[in-house]
Amino acid sequence: MAVRTDGRARRPDSVRLRRVNILVGALSLPLFVCLWELVSRSGAVNMVLFPPPTVVATAVLEWIRSGQFFGDLLASLFRVTTGFIMGGALGILLGVLTGQFPVISSLLSPLFHILRPIPPIAFVPIVILWFGLSEAGKLFLVVWGVFFTVWLSTHIGVQKVDRGLIRAALMLGTPRRQMLQEIVLLGALPYIVVGLRTAVSISFYTLVAAELAGAFAGIVYRIEIAQQNLQTGQVMGGLAALGLISFVADRLFAALAERLVWWR
Amino acid sequence: MKLALASSSASVEEARKQPAIQVSNLSIVFDTNRGQNIAVDRVSFDVAPGEFVCIVGPSGCGKSTVLNTIAGLEVPFEGDILVEGAPVYSPRPDVGMVFQQPHLFPWKSVRRNIAHGPRMLGRSRAEANAIADDLIAMVGLTRFADAYPNTLSGGMQQRVAIARALANQPRVLLMDEPFGALDAQTRAVMQDNLLALRDRIKATIVFVTHDIDEAIVLADRVLIMSAGPGRILREVAVKLPRPRSSSVMLEPAYLALKKDCLDVIRAEGLRAFNRSEAN
Ligand SMILES: Nc1ncnc2c1ncn2[C@@H]1O[C@H](COP(=O)(O)OP(=O)(O)OP(=O)(O)O)[C@@H](O)[C@H]1O
Ligand SMILES: [Mg+2]
Repeated sequence: MAVRTDGRARRPDSVRLRRVNILVGALSLPLFVCLWELVSRSGAVNMVLFPPPTVVATAVLEWIRSGQFFGDLLASLFRVTTGFIMGGALGILLGVLTGQFPVISSLLSPLFHILRPIPPIAFVPIVILWFGLSEAGKLFLVVWGVFFTVWLSTHIGVQKVDRGLIRAALMLGTPRRQMLQEIVLLGALPYIVVGLRTAVSISFYTLVAAELAGAFAGIVYRIEIAQQNLQTGQVMGGLAALGLISFVADRLFAALAERLVWWR
Repeated sequence: MKLALASSSASVEEARKQPAIQVSNLSIVFDTNRGQNIAVDRVSFDVAPGEFVCIVGPSGCGKSTVLNTIAGLEVPFEGDILVEGAPVYSPRPDVGMVFQQPHLFPWKSVRRNIAHGPRMLGRSRAEANAIADDLIAMVGLTRFADAYPNTLSGGMQQRVAIARALANQPRVLLMDEPFGALDAQTRAVMQDNLLALRDRIKATIVFVTHDIDEAIVLADRVLIMSAGPGRILREVAVKLPRPRSSSVMLEPAYLALKKDCLDVIRAEGLRAFNRSEAN
């Protein structure tokens, strides 16, 4: 009896605690922005180097009004999505090949394992030599970054497919040449999806490197130009835009991933 | 079906004489880094059409290896295996297998899992689903036809695995400790289910277990194997009346059979112990 009243008394407490947490969560960003505004305007810091949020917001509005924002956004999104799709497709294709066929794995895996740990940013100089400032060079960097992550997770996923499932499928009359589509690809799918999810953020890292290396439009390109003109508000606005885009991309992919692995 | 029966009574007569499974002088050797390991040593036995044979023996004695070889998943080192008179080189759709783990395809619903075999043998989706739905009803999972395996209990998953193995209407059903991972209660229910099922499907069944009670409850004949290298020590015919259920374990005839089996196993255990002491 005593235990029961105890439990009853505790429940409203935990509800209240959860409500407080939600409230604090909702206030987090506004509080932070207010604090930032206060600190910037207090005179304790240089307002040119550390502009308050109102100045950043004005810069972003101006960026949108001038029509450059959408051009920049499209340029960056094009690079990220095209690079992601190309690198992802290539990674899945070669991952299936190396995971499934030992000969191909012996041929390619040593090479890939040597190239994979080199940070994609380190390829910027040679990419400029090879491609100049063309779009191809930027795509190359994003594809490069995405490819290795997706290749490795696909390769591992294909290798980790439960042997028991393959034996069961064989016993049910599944022809060996159909094993790939019936069992292996689906068995590896959860790994492939994890690899692709990681690759989403990698594609944004490499985008930064690609646009810093020289571009004519793009979010990061705009950040760099603003920096040269000491438009710190614009720089911060660009960073916020980049953060928002990659956040949205990650969330979209998480939602997609849930549908891709439909049986979980 | 009728036509085949009428046309050749001679070949039917022949088929009745011919064992469903003939294992002769089967040896299986694995190459390990400590040299060759003889897993199975000159094992021979026949299984008559429609017979239910249980193989019992201690862990590691080669029960799974024998079964996998009959299934065509393992290649014999020496000896021959004939199923329905034809040698086995690779898995055949007229030989079904239920493994110790259910090994259900996690991305397929219960119905699609069971329909997989018929689909692979060229049936249309509608036909395959009809077969699956019949089997789902037979194993009592109608409510779960559209569920995914990860939402089912272990016993339910193993029932799906059995239904899936039956979907291709195998002449021979191989079962490798299918109830080994289940708790005692579920296990008894599954044994009764299997006994009831067996009266309807009329397949030849080879069932591996290390539970002597399970073996006697289910089988027409029990083969007792010895440990390393695996050999067949004794065959015990189980002449308990059918239809049977797990309550047969309370009968005196059952206890006498069990005593026979245990005597063989104990003698072998003692022999193995003395041998290892001597080395
Ligand atoms: N792929 C393999 N490679 C090497 N040795 C193997 C392999 N499979 C089985 N063995 C060996 O063969 C012997 C028999 O194994 P098996 O799995 O058939 O035993 P089991 O009777 O089914 O045992 P359990 O009751 O534990 O399932 C064991 O000594 C095992 O180590
Ligand atoms: Mg085994």
